[in-house]
Amino acid sequence: MSDGEETGAKMTPLARGAVGVLVVACAVVTALEFVIHRHAYFETEGRPLFFAIYGFAAFLIVVGGGVLLRKLVMRAPDYYDAGEDGDA
Amino acid sequence: MPELLLPGLMMILGAALVPVLPHMLRQVWMLVLIAASAYQCWHIDPGVHLTTSVIGFDLILVRAEAITRPFALVFHIAAALNVIYAMHEDARMTAATGLAYAGAAIAALFAGDFITLFIYWELTAFTSVFIILAGRNPRSFSAAMRYLLTQVTSGVILLAGAVVLVGSGSSTAITALSVETLGGALVLLAFAIKAAFPFVNGWLQDAYPEASVTGTVILSAFTTKLAIYMLALCFAGTHMLIWFGVVMTLFPVFFAVIENDLRRVLAFSLNNQLGFMVVGIGIGTELALNGTVAHAFAHIIYKSLLFMSMGAVLYRTGTVKASELGGLWKRMPLTTLFCIIGAVSISSFPLFSGFVTKSLTIGSAAYEGYFWVWVALIFASAGVLEHSGIKIPYFAFFGHDRGFKVREAPFSMLVAMGIAAGLCVAIGVAPEMLYALLPYEVTYKVWDAGHVLGELQLLLFAVLAFAFLMLRGLYPPEIDSTVLNTDWLFRRLLPAIWRMLAAPVMRLWRAVTGTAARQIAASVGRGTHVSRTNYLISGTATIGAAAGLFLAVFALLLALRYMM
Repeated sequence: MSDGEETGAKMTPLARGAVGVLVVACAVVTALEFVIHRHAYFETEGRPLFFAIYGFAAFLIVVGGGVLLRKLVMRAPDYYDAGEDGDA
Repeated sequence: MPELLLPGLMMILGAALVPVLPHMLRQVWMLVLIAASAYQCWHIDPGVHLTTSVIGFDLILVRAEAITRPFALVFHIAAALNVIYAMHEDARMTAATGLAYAGAAIAALFAGDFITLFIYWELTAFTSVFIILAGRNPRSFSAAMRYLLTQVTSGVILLAGAVVLVGSGSSTAITALSVETLGGALVLLAFAIKAAFPFVNGWLQDAYPEASVTGTVILSAFTTKLAIYMLALCFAGTHMLIWFGVVMTLFPVFFAVIENDLRRVLAFSLNNQLGFMVVGIGIGTELALNGTVAHAFAHIIYKSLLFMSMGAVLYRTGTVKASELGGLWKRMPLTTLFCIIGAVSISSFPLFSGFVTKSLTIGSAAYEGYFWVWVALIFASAGVLEHSGIKIPYFAFFGHDRGFKVREAPFSMLVAMGIAAGLCVAIGVAPEMLYALLPYEVTYKVWDAGHVLGELQLLLFAVLAFAFLMLRGLYPPEIDSTVLNTDWLFRRLLPAIWRMLAAPVMRLWRAVTGTAARQIAASVGRGTHVSRTNYLISGTATIGAAAGLFLAVFALLLALRYMM
């Protein structure tokens, strides 16, 4: 169970190729920020590139939170199989 | 006069014939029943249509509200998709109970009082448990028993709530309730269990992934959305639900990151999506309730699609563990395409169904000035993208090629996934069709250029974060493991406390039964079976204790009602 923890998941060549497309798409929506007016309900929302920064940061927090949570709640695959409910 | 037939009843009764019909006739029979039921339900206008009186209780057997039609429609769509998806297999019990389960859920939508609702509420539990049992292994059997206990508990709490409501002078009619009354609180608790609120959510992630390939798809559509429907009828505008919903949107995304079983990831994702709906109910404005109903409608379809795609992967490869999958896009290209459509739909990419429905709920939070709720929902949207938008398709179809030499999914599975994918796109491109079904007029400008841009920035930069983590080797690897969830409280902690508290009594009990067993064995001259006896006693102790405690509470409630 612990073997895979040492290194992160690897990206396939196909996915590496898609990253180029993704970077272009991100550049386009960044540029559009200065062309299209975004109506904001809150002051924070109206700040330049709020959603881009928030999306990037939120994703990192979700993954980082998951990594921390793993230390707390991850058990062996057969954790419940032996002595379910402690009855057997 | 379609309301004179009980909605859903033809599906419940018609299910009895399913096991005995030949394969093709069975499929036609089920689809005809669903179509006839859909026709019937579609023509039931809002209002009370059929009442009766039983032992002094006025029962409202058929009643529709403004939100009933969209829920009934999508329940029928889900039922039909399930039939088509499972056409390749000869699982008669799953087919029969699945049809009856869908019929019971549809019937419950039209229940106008809590007594009638209780009957269908429990019927959904008893029919659906067979779908989990169809997993046909010890894990699914155990999960099915826990599921049944949870669902029945929810039903009995609902009945207790109805009894208390009657005792306090209210009628049993399903109407707006206050959580500040005991009856209202009990009804809310019953709904909360079925809607997988925090701390009572474990049954969902425990049971759904243990069902068969087709069973999990059936389960994903009805029970939780029935609870959402009832919450919307009884507790719209109850502000505490906003925060319950916020927690529901947030905590599953962290669990989904580390869960290895991709069907269990989808079960966490389901929980997260329910949170958005609960927030909408808590806000309770016209826009928010429109958001909840629209989201439930779209969610049932794209969640079914995602479960179907993972079911196809499980059917062909024998596993849905992310650590064992990868590179399937070359072998299963259509399944990959349909999964991606489900993934972008749930992630709310513009032109797909999630965008035109979830935006209503998030927009209502912003419009009402709930800043922190809005912040949380946006955060949860990035979380949805992580687990359902990226993790599911990437690790199943595009990750490291594991060398599976498998064929594309069976034709029937592809047809069902194709229809669901088509609906995701149709709703996303032309949401007016869905908006016309909603209880209130939709004035929210979902296609506002600034709104579309903001959503694209959020999602594309979140994907960029994924690419960054992958390129740097920082994305956590998939590890075969058990991720503890809130069901641990009921499967490990409570039994441990119970054993500790009951140890003296159990020692006495064992001493008595052991002595009796030895005396009986001595009198008949055979060996004792003390260990087997103890096993049987202890093996049923947990469920027996829970049931006993529950009945005691229920009896106390009844006693209180008659003493008052």
